[in-house]
Amino acid sequence: MGFNVHFDWTGSIGEVILGATKSDGGSRRVSYRIGGGTTLPFLDKNPSSPAPLIAFEICDNPVFWSPIIRNYCGELVNNLQEWAKAGDATYGADMIRLYLTSTRQRNFSDFPAVGKAVETALSATSLPLIIEGSNDPKIDSDIFQKCGEVGQGERLLLGTAEASRYRSIAAAALAYNHALIAQSPIDVNLAKQLNILLREIGIQRDHVVIDPYTGTLGYGFEYSYSAMERIRFSALKGDTDLAMPMISSAPDTLTIKEVREADLDGQDDMAVKWEFYTSLAAAVAGAEIVCVRHPKTIGMLKLAFASLKTGTGSMEVT
Amino acid sequence: MMRSITFLPSYRKIDVDRGTTILDAAQHAGLNINVVCGGLGKCGKCVVFVQSGKTEFDQQKHSRFFTEEELKNGACLACATSVQGDLLVFIPESTMIQEQKILIEGLETEIEFHPSVRKYYVELEPPTLANPSPDLSRLLWGIQKSGGPVAEKMYAPLETLREIPTMLRHSDWKVTGTIALVPGGYRLIDLQENDTSKRLYGAAIDLGSTTVVVYLWDLVSGKVVGVASNYNKQISCGEDILARVNFARKNGLSKLQALAAESINTALTTASNTAGIDRDDIYEVVVAGNTVMTHMLLGIDPAYMIAEPYVPVVRRALSVAANRLGIACNPNGGVFAFPAVSDFIGGDIIADILSCGMSESDGVSLLIDIGTNFEVVLGNKDWMFSCAGAAGPALEGGEVLFGMRANPGAIDKITIDPETLTPVFSTINGIKPRGITGSGLIDLLAELLSTCVIDRNGRINTGITNPRIRTSSHFPEFVVAWAQDSGIGKDIVITENDIKNLIMSKASVHAACVTLMKEAGISRHDISTIYFAGAFGNYLNKKNATTIGLIPEIPYDQIKNIGNGAVTGANIALINRRKRKTLDEIASKIAYIELNAEPAFMDEYTSSAFLPHTDLSLFPQVQKMLDACRIQRE
Repeated sequence: MGFNVHFDWTGSIGEVILGATKSDGGSRRVSYRIGGGTTLPFLDKNPSSPAPLIAFEICDNPVFWSPIIRNYCGELVNNLQEWAKAGDATYGADMIRLYLTSTRQRNFSDFPAVGKAVETALSATSLPLIIEGSNDPKIDSDIFQKCGEVGQGERLLLGTAEASRYRSIAAAALAYNHALIAQSPIDVNLAKQLNILLREIGIQRDHVVIDPYTGTLGYGFEYSYSAMERIRFSALKGDTDLAMPMISSAPDTLTIKEVREADLDGQDDMAVKWEFYTSLAAAVAGAEIVCVRHPKTIGMLKLAFASLKTGTGSMEVT
Repeated sequence: MMRSITFLPSYRKIDVDRGTTILDAAQHAGLNINVVCGGLGKCGKCVVFVQSGKTEFDQQKHSRFFTEEELKNGACLACATSVQGDLLVFIPESTMIQEQKILIEGLETEIEFHPSVRKYYVELEPPTLANPSPDLSRLLWGIQKSGGPVAEKMYAPLETLREIPTMLRHSDWKVTGTIALVPGGYRLIDLQENDTSKRLYGAAIDLGSTTVVVYLWDLVSGKVVGVASNYNKQISCGEDILARVNFARKNGLSKLQALAAESINTALTTASNTAGIDRDDIYEVVVAGNTVMTHMLLGIDPAYMIAEPYVPVVRRALSVAANRLGIACNPNGGVFAFPAVSDFIGGDIIADILSCGMSESDGVSLLIDIGTNFEVVLGNKDWMFSCAGAAGPALEGGEVLFGMRANPGAIDKITIDPETLTPVFSTINGIKPRGITGSGLIDLLAELLSTCVIDRNGRINTGITNPRIRTSSHFPEFVVAWAQDSGIGKDIVITENDIKNLIMSKASVHAACVTLMKEAGISRHDISTIYFAGAFGNYLNKKNATTIGLIPEIPYDQIKNIGNGAVTGANIALINRRKRKTLDEIASKIAYIELNAEPAFMDEYTSSAFLPHTDLSLFPQVQKMLDACRIQRE
């Protein structure tokens, strides 16, 4: 399609490299350079406007995962190795995002197991990885330290830093040269504040991916859209503290009322639709990475991105 | 069922219904307990110790205010504890409202002395058949000849007229007339036998919702002869304004009107006694108060002001006979009340404007008056915008664990050694610290930021190894003074939660400033002066106020503290009638911006809720300073 719209923007989105190939000292078959945009997504056909990356979300303890996915993927969810592999080879995701849900158990302290899980994912797929650490500030330091260490050289994307807890994850990212996700609750100012905090403890701009927090379509998504749009506008107008790529994940799409109350045989479809439309809208708002949990959503998103005639693949650096 | 409560240490006794809160009981017993939050169980200031008897109090819910030991000794919050049985309750001194330090300062600039009330002593020729002009004409001519206004322009009310014939003859035609300039013209308000012309006094009054301040002037010599202040007695009908308006709605306005007058009278009496003068020689009282206070003093119903669309009854200055309001000065004296602009921009703010002179200046000034509420005025001699909002009590020391008002023992200034993180502070009256006052909190916040103890979000870096940085059961905290050095026997700390409250307060003030600046289409570079008024104005460290982003960054020497601008403005209006005349003009010029109706305000607020601000380019000097501090630490 392509719109011929012209803006007087002078800024551009900073670039972040995710994943390291052999030549960079890692073991990934591909590495992505995301960001770099100088205008809004899907506005023109030039290759500087690549399709957003699709990350497939998995976890190391499926108790915490949506039953819809557990039903669809079956035994796969109990085998991290195979699940990650399927995300790559079968479902065709661009990245794998591993949630260390095992750490959400009370008084969790099995840090070697965390390292093991990351190692498993790294060996199961040669795609770049996103690793989601703990939810508990008390164990943050140990968890991120472990993830950082195991993934050294692989240029992981570590998640998730928030204004109330960013020091542990930042320390791990700094020590082992990983990028990190900076999440703030749907507000351009709060997003900027967190980026400033990260900058001031030494995180370089090209190691930060903004997560403006995505509310599900129909459940506050319009706020997320507006926040993402404002972040992008500020960046293009030259605010370097907001000129980072964005990531969007909306796991609530699987638990909303419409999905819960759908007919049993239509539940899966409903979940996929909801995840698809939310992710697509987030991509239109400017997200460079969209994360999904349902395998079927991946294919639909690929089709949609292709129909918007973006560059066929994400910018890959080999 | 009545229960009997005995309060220690005064042994004051009162019977109350079962289920009454201890706070209510104490108030009925005439004990003034400190309740910053208005009795909502939020501020933790109304601590009492139940020594015996049955009560109901949720210790769990309020545990953050107490130590284990205190709880063991029966500590509870008076506002959240209900009386079940007969009680013996100990009220510690720190729980009582203490004598407040009042800003007492004269005028910085010289104001022309030209009061509205004058006395003229005249010795008249008695009438004869050859010169039979009437008594009044004779008197007024005499006054004109002694330098008074033109006789034809003076008016004598009936009350005075009735006294004239006897008094003139009884005094052997030697009398002193008092002429006041009122909106209707010159008025002969009083006539006395013989020469009393040296006995003419006036009072300038700041009628605050918490405190009443009186300056007593000798209107002949132009000197202040007495100053006094006391609490506003309306506090017994509600801590905050809203509570009092509701009280008025339920119980009638007359009690609040009487209490306002009584509060003024108490201060007038104290000042008169200090000066050694008779209250009957006070002929004029000028009152600057917020809109609700002014309405209440005048006995005008304020009820419609607190509901949409928030309109006050009057927007201009009013002159009233003192005896109609129950003000204890000369019965023929007058009361002049400052005009208000809106429900929130009242006579006190107009007085601030008058005292800082911004309404006469070409340059654009920003005036900020901070209390529990704050008011901001931006403008110059041609235009003015104003707004008001809730700052929360944090900047006054409320909703901060060890926050307190400017009472003895309050830390009012503080610096922190960047190496050892040891604080150096001063306290009011120089005694051992008991808490931290608003200006001390602003200093503390700025120092914690520049020493990198907190980040720009106000979060304490618990990774720093220093005994002063620790995590309590609720929040990370910084120890300002150790128990053995404090006047209250426990560590004085500032918690991350306190800091959060302070940042929210400062953010609303800054966001209000920015909202007005945007409304006027100007930037911080266009502001020539920032004036600080209000309780902590005089003690405020300008650099630190800028560092935390309480106010827009402008050169520090362009920031001025005007202290209690309300009383200063009242002083000016008392002694200079030309300036008084400008008040209505000022009030009518000010446009009021309703922050709630400004969609951009919340956005400004969020971006201001950062130290100093999310847009660091608005604070270049602060940014430079903080960068330097950080590099030094690294």
